[in-house]
Amino acid sequence: MKNRLRELRDRHAWSQGDLADQLDVSRQTVNAIETGKYDPSLPLAFRIARLFRMNIESIFEPGKE
Amino acid sequence: MSRYLPSSYRMQMLLLMAAYLGLVLLGLPLAKNSSSLPLKAILTLVPLLPMFGALWLIARQIMRSDELRQRVHLVALSVATGVVSALSLAGGFLAATHVVDLDGDVLIWVMPALGLVYGVTQWVVGRRYGGLGCN
Repeated sequence: MKNRLRELRDRHAWSQGDLADQLDVSRQTVNAIETGKYDPSLPLAFRIARLFRMNIESIFEPGKE
Repeated sequence: MSRYLPSSYRMQMLLLMAAYLGLVLLGLPLAKNSSSLPLKAILTLVPLLPMFGALWLIARQIMRSDELRQRVHLVALSVATGVVSALSLAGGFLAATHVVDLDGDVLIWVMPALGLVYGVTQWVVGRRYGGLGCN
């Protein structure tokens, strides 16, 4: 799944660690999401959307099936 | 992230493993030389106390982990269980048909084998997600 997490994080000048603290996950999880190696669960995706004040579809784009 | 403190976890694990090793090295020779069966049993089983402590520590660590780390733990535990179970089954069949000569002492190696396969699988799966560090 593609996502704009890195772009949104850069916009706020947050490090991966900063974002991880705010989402209550590890920095490695943030990195895995940003690099497309891991798709977050729905609750985590909602927390991300709430943090950036956007809807989920604006941040995450489903991949080709 | 406040939910995880790797240094305290490692220190606690180190202390428990030291206690386990100490009790094995001290307790088992005493148990072998003891003539009292209840005392022999107690001295033999007392190293399990720090081992149960370590298992509780690992379980607590997994419960405190985030979703990705919990997924990695689950995969690692599944692989470790499958591999060690298969090896135990193979060993059991070989012993039953007297192809190899195994006695009860071999069961001591089940838990270390589980730990080894668990650790290796955790590392391999963690790399798939870009590396999950040492925690």
